[in-house]
Amino acid sequence: MFSEQAAATAQGLLAPPSAEPPTFPRVAVSGYSDCSQPFQLGERSFARQYAHIYAVRLAGMRPGLERRARSRWGNDVVLRRLSELQEGEKCCVVGTLFKSMQLQPSILQEISEEHNLVPQPPLPKYIQPSDELILEDELQRIKLEGAIDVQRLVTGTIVAVYGCEQDDGRFLVEDHCFADLPPPLPWSGPSSDRYVLLASGLGLGSVSGEALLSTQLLVDVVTGQLGAEGEQSCAAHITRVILAGNLLSQNTQSRDTINKAKYLTKKTQAASVEAVKMLDEILLQLCTSVPVDVMPGEFDPTNYTLPQQPLHRCMLPLASAYATLRLVTNPYQASLDGVRFLGTSGQNISDIFKYSSMDDYLEILEWTLLAGHISPTAPDTLGCYPFYKSDPFILTECPHVYFCGNAPHFQSKLLQGKEGQRVLLLTVPDFSATQTACLVNLHDLSCQPITFSSFGADSEDGDMELEH
Amino acid sequence: MADELYLENIDEFVTDHNRVVTYKWLSYTLGVHVNQAKQMLYDYVERKRKENSGAQLHVTYLVAGNLLQNGHFCHKVAVVREDKLEAMKSKLSTIASVHVYSIQKALLKDSSPLYNTDYDIVKTNLQHCSKFSAIRCAAAVPRTPPDAPQVPEPVQSPQRQRDPDAAINGHRVRAAKPPPQQHKGIMGMFAAKAAARPQDTPKEAKAEAKEAAGVSAANCKPPTKNTIMNNFFGKAAMNKLKANSVPEQPKEEKEVVKPSVAVAESESSPNTVAEKPGKKTESDRIQQKDKKSKTKRVDRSDDEEERDPENVKKKRKRIKQLLSDSSDEEADVPPSPTPEEERVPSPPPEPALKTELEPASTEVSAGGRKRKRKRVLKSRMFIDEEEGCMVTEKVYESESCTDSEDEFPKTKAPAPQEQAMLPTKREPKEERKNPKKGAAPASRANKQVSIMGFCQKK
Repeated sequence: MFSEQAAATAQGLLAPPSAEPPTFPRVAVSGYSDCSQPFQLGERSFARQYAHIYAVRLAGMRPGLERRARSRWGNDVVLRRLSELQEGEKCCVVGTLFKSMQLQPSILQEISEEHNLVPQPPLPKYIQPSDELILEDELQRIKLEGAIDVQRLVTGTIVAVYGCEQDDGRFLVEDHCFADLPPPLPWSGPSSDRYVLLASGLGLGSVSGEALLSTQLLVDVVTGQLGAEGEQSCAAHITRVILAGNLLSQNTQSRDTINKAKYLTKKTQAASVEAVKMLDEILLQLCTSVPVDVMPGEFDPTNYTLPQQPLHRCMLPLASAYATLRLVTNPYQASLDGVRFLGTSGQNISDIFKYSSMDDYLEILEWTLLAGHISPTAPDTLGCYPFYKSDPFILTECPHVYFCGNAPHFQSKLLQGKEGQRVLLLTVPDFSATQTACLVNLHDLSCQPITFSSFGADSEDGDMELEH
Repeated sequence: MADELYLENIDEFVTDHNRVVTYKWLSYTLGVHVNQAKQMLYDYVERKRKENSGAQLHVTYLVAGNLLQNGHFCHKVAVVREDKLEAMKSKLSTIASVHVYSIQKALLKDSSPLYNTDYDIVKTNLQHCSKFSAIRCAAAVPRTPPDAPQVPEPVQSPQRQRDPDAAINGHRVRAAKPPPQQHKGIMGMFAAKAAARPQDTPKEAKAEAKEAAGVSAANCKPPTKNTIMNNFFGKAAMNKLKANSVPEQPKEEKEVVKPSVAVAESESSPNTVAEKPGKKTESDRIQQKDKKSKTKRVDRSDDEEERDPENVKKKRKRIKQLLSDSSDEEADVPPSPTPEEERVPSPPPEPALKTELEPASTEVSAGGRKRKRKRVLKSRMFIDEEEGCMVTEKVYESESCTDSEDEFPKTKAPAPQEQAMLPTKREPKEERKNPKKGAAPASRANKQVSIMGFCQKK
């Protein structure tokens, strides 16, 4: 998208200095509204049990699922609670899935002395052929078997199953369905090209300096320092930058203070301090030129449970002096120039990846959208705040751009729904590993990755393989 | 002509200083638009190569364009060495931009010198890092403090920008408040002092801690919270300041500050009516607190009221001085030539600030007394004529080493109206008690013996 428009003046700067070089004004933000209020926690109390969140989740999604069930299996399908089941009767039941997995890490087992277990090392996937699916509703639970893919599904999904109860007490599933795409939002996107740059996984504070020049190049392209005039004028159409988590690298997480003796670690500074200073400088450069939304991620200094609260602005004294910096929650939902964005820093997708047979981040992303819930595995395997009034992760409206950060590769897909929904699914790659960010054009929901590279002793050859 | 100048400059940087000259570095150093810097570099390379084909120059270029990768087009931006330039250009299906990235004498093995050069120059120019960029953003303006200012805001906002550390230092505990608000609070407190001054004169007690208290009040946090903060600060500040000047003071102050502040708080409520809303607690403290004061502190409050802008500046100065000279204050205990008033010992920056004060008291106060006051908790017993009983009160009195005394009782007296009478009543009594200064054993009864007892003033 940049390239075609910029090609005309590509070589313009290979010339002696000209008179007054042009400056391009940044395209103004025409409409921005932050819709992440459900994800902002005020007073937090952890005195509640997590059962409430499942109860409100089921209560919140049940009507939609019953509607879907009726449209799929006929209006006269019998909807039953588990307590009303009769053996042999074909009916539809709506409930929460629970997958009992043998390999699922259980803290109780780990600390139990009678088992004498060594703590299990983290595995990439915890699925096993012996996993079982159980359907739970408000009062009872029942084992499921039949036309339902046990490996693929994860705990916490609300599902409607159609089948009948066997005489051995299991439910034989003939068909099942999820909540499907939420109702569409009206489209009021901009009439001209406007871009939003999404990047995640900047990974500052890591030991290797590989990605540092690439990060600098990214900042320079966005702020209009890099590139010939054509490219700079295209970059002036970038209306926003969204940093989707993991601004700090995992290396900053090491806690020597736990392992080492106190006298050795007394005067040492946490690695994250230096990294946050670097982040502040980078954000300052960006903020003087473009509005930036900063979402926290897994390794960032904020709370661990979802929804992660915004980073505190006292950590970023230089950058937070500018009104263009917005520190936002994870997940983040906002309406930019009439286009609704919804996305996370990737913890929800990577958690589903661990407990499901699905391998492709884009596939998992699409599945969460079809299941109607951003993060079904919370609170089972992913930390979550004990909500009790309502579950803010239920998708009530279909966003226009649905993204997740810190994916291994860049992938995108434009999904069309039956009721006129049009969603751009986007997996934003980890910048520190791939040096790739994403540019989304709000006008037509197209998107393009933008890669940065520099030269090193051996980095030149890396590109050769990819181009074929 | 300026044209040739830049060529010489670049020549000097590259050959003489052996620098890595990136376009960004050149742009900041010469103060030119980034595009001009890129063109200048190109021009230099061309000319140098023309006149001397064996020139020791290595150039890196920036190439950007479309690249077909994994079946889709991706926009690639790459910094390449000159020898790989054509190869990269041929890989790209469409070229969006090519320009010189940097010039250096030596061949670069990797791109870290480029990164370091850019990092350094940006770091030294952080405040205007988008000055020479090709894109201007109208929305990127520094934030202004959100609240309506109680004191001149223009003075504070630029200061806020300039001086985030000073602002944060003294108010770190108040996490969520923007620094200017705190300054305003302090200023507001000074202003409040001015307002309360007429009322003070009969009582002659000025609270220094009002500043911190004022800050707290202005910050709209519940006063009680702030007193805890103030206490914390107060103790820390006291420790710092009183190392030697008035030996007894530290230990007593430490003990006294906390209860006195707490008492002040409780007493502030009945008296808030008369005060301006935002400065209630401050004024109350002004009226009610009886704290010992340092010499310098006296003048501070006097000065502050005069001119608000000056106050801000003064306050600023003081904070900075405080940070650097906190040790000096302790060694410095000159008696102030001007009449002294009692000041409430205040939380950290404020007391320290006060000690820096130039003597300039214009306050009406009870005669030229020498400072060194300390607040002593004493039990006083008197006969209450109205009710025909004996009343024993615990009262904070300020006892001065130099024999003059101001007393400002913080009492939990049973009858409120007694309070009005008490100060005047007590004065004669206090005169009698003057000789028993700080070392008064009676006052000691309530306090733990402190190590400062060894350093008592004779």
